[in-house]
Amino acid sequence: MRLKNVIALLLSFCFTVGILAGCGGNQGDSQQEDQGHQAQKTGTDKKAILVVSFGTSYNDTRKACIESVENKIKDTFQDYEIKRAFTSEIIIKKLKERDNLVIDNPDQALQKLKDEGFTQIVVQPLHIIPGVEYDEVRAVVAKYENEFDNIVLGRPILYSKGGEDIPDDYTIAVEAFKQQLPELTDDTAVVLMGHGTHHPANAAYVCLQSVLDDMGLAVYVGTVEGYPSLDNVKKRLKNNQIKNVILMPYMLVAGDHAQNDMAGDEEDSWKTQLKEDGYVVDVYLHGLGENPAYQDIYVQHVQDAIAAGESH
Amino acid sequence: MKKNLFYILIFTFLLILSGCAADKATDSSNNNLEGTIKIVDDLGKTIIMQEPARRIISLYSAHTENLFALGLDDEIIGVGGTDSYPPRVVTKDVFDYRSDPEKVIAVNPDMVLIRPFINSSCPHFVRALENAGINVVCLYPDTFDDFIPYINKLAQLTGREKEAEKLINDFNRELCEIESITNKIKDKKRVFFESTEVEYRTITNDCMAANAIRIAGGINIASDAQPIKEGSSIASYNLERILDRATEIDVYVAQKGSMNAGGTPHAIRIRPGFDTIKAVRENKIYNIDEKLVSSPTFRFAIGVHELARFFYPEIFDDLSKFKDEDVISRQELAEIAVKYKHKPVFTPNSNYYKGKKEGHVYGGFQDVPVDHPYFNYIETAVLSGYIQCENEKFYPEKQVTRDELAHMIFMLFDIKDKPNSLEIKDIKNCKNAGIIQMLCNNNIMSLDEHSNFRPESHVSGNDILEYLARAERLYN
Repeated sequence: MRLKNVIALLLSFCFTVGILAGCGGNQGDSQQEDQGHQAQKTGTDKKAILVVSFGTSYNDTRKACIESVENKIKDTFQDYEIKRAFTSEIIIKKLKERDNLVIDNPDQALQKLKDEGFTQIVVQPLHIIPGVEYDEVRAVVAKYENEFDNIVLGRPILYSKGGEDIPDDYTIAVEAFKQQLPELTDDTAVVLMGHGTHHPANAAYVCLQSVLDDMGLAVYVGTVEGYPSLDNVKKRLKNNQIKNVILMPYMLVAGDHAQNDMAGDEEDSWKTQLKEDGYVVDVYLHGLGENPAYQDIYVQHVQDAIAAGESH
Repeated sequence: MKKNLFYILIFTFLLILSGCAADKATDSSNNNLEGTIKIVDDLGKTIIMQEPARRIISLYSAHTENLFALGLDDEIIGVGGTDSYPPRVVTKDVFDYRSDPEKVIAVNPDMVLIRPFINSSCPHFVRALENAGINVVCLYPDTFDDFIPYINKLAQLTGREKEAEKLINDFNRELCEIESITNKIKDKKRVFFESTEVEYRTITNDCMAANAIRIAGGINIASDAQPIKEGSSIASYNLERILDRATEIDVYVAQKGSMNAGGTPHAIRIRPGFDTIKAVRENKIYNIDEKLVSSPTFRFAIGVHELARFFYPEIFDDLSKFKDEDVISRQELAEIAVKYKHKPVFTPNSNYYKGKKEGHVYGGFQDVPVDHPYFNYIETAVLSGYIQCENEKFYPEKQVTRDELAHMIFMLFDIKDKPNSLEIKDIKNCKNAGIIQMLCNNNIMSLDEHSNFRPESHVSGNDILEYLARAERLYN
């Protein structure tokens, strides 16, 4: 990144000198030509942002957690067309059959954008971690690499722990999460339900826990299908002598997992399991997509993707 | 045979009318030739067997369920992939009519039970079995009235006529009991029954589910709906027609299962325009397992009872019979919890048994078999976390302790702690110490004159109803 910046700086220096001097070498000329071409095209360039999520069949959740993010992106990037795609074929099929609502998968959406003559594409997934689905979106983007003048992929919520010139996604995510965090008394903790996966990116949840710990927050991360599990969380609750638990989904939408696995009335729901251990349990049934600070993170990730695309 | 069927139907009908006191139900064994079994199946094929089937493969979940109900187990050597009841099905080998018929032929069954759908969708499979000399029997009761003749055929084929007679009598009695209550209800609930989430379809007026609604005392507002195709129990309806009658729908029931994967109460509530439906406004949206109302099995009686609970909870979930000084047993506590919460009884689907399970697994209690009178209450109360159990026994008749009761009350409500902490002298003897402390701080359960909780002492129905009422005043 540092090297890239230096090169960019040098190039722009060369370029500026070239213009100022009214002369220059071959490199300066071609750069000038490119830039001129670019400027000429701006007026006719068709630009689109494809917002990709797993999807949800719940109409209210879709409005609150997905459309809200799409709308914020739309408001921020007004010279872009905003399109939607879902990765879940089951949900796409269900919405088609039930509500006659047609939603594309990422491949179909990109093909349509190509057919409609779009040239500049940003694909922004609304995923939390760079797991299996993110890999799939990345593969589709790679497939269309030569089909557009420019196509870039935005990053999910939890991506890099940061470095020089690289944003610390985890700290940003925790700061944004504080917006939905009530004031916690000594014997109260928030338990997050993440999705979890066998994919190596599952480590993101552990890193998130570590950052929460660094900030001294009584927030414990558990996952439905990965590590840490609810059993790991229970140990933390016990060790910290917690009596009250607030359950929150650490997912884009408060869909089936949140409604059933987290807050449901059956024996194996997290709410029931924690109550059986004697905890007083409250549930917060709102997806991260409803939190304006998380919406802002996605907007920033689109911005970063555009910037990365321009520096190419 | 049609004529026989007609007589059987008339006879069954008379039987029901005559107060369900049947001694001899439809004993179709009269039709048997000497020493042989002879029936005509639903494809019109005459089945002749010298002796009852001993190695049976059932490829339809209702057949499987009914075979088990008739007391067969070792005789069932194979079941279908989506069969989920009774819990014993998980011990059986699974066969699939969409795969290689050789697998079925290889285990040498003496009867393979199918339904017409299998014959029409996979005729090659069926022909291959027949060509191999396997006795393939195709049965499916199209309407509610065909159910008992169908059971009698199954009983004949398996030599279980006596068992069938008892099951049919019990079944008719259970339905009669419900109907005798609902018949007296003047102001009947009007019901919309959603059979599929796709295109908001309903049911035809002669199918099993429509009869379930009728016996449970409901009025099907879509009784004029026409089948999507001839012979189907699924009927066309649509969003507009539902919303046209929005103010008439007192209760909205959506069946769940392979036919209708979606449609949870939450998903139904948030559909555009559904806020005009009376049932949605009054929170009377329920799911029912399609296997309980749309499948020809004896669990239909449970389905009817469930619908009656949805329609008239003040009658069917009434707890006043427990209002006395009698000590309550664990099985009764299960009934109290389920009825108090108006909790639909738990039923497993075929996905339920997949994957590792922690804690109790449906049907796993050694002392609560599927035909135990409290089976559904016990399973539902345990699987909802209301009642604790430590091993594979439930001890249904054991008397309830105050310790156990505290746990149940805590699970039924969202109880918060109070700052005024009461001193409980014997708190160390309490298994659910934290919960008991909270309940006492809230004055839901109380201490004796020596400030002891007495966790091991027993409780009467009166006590339980009083504690529930106190908790309800604070937390509902």
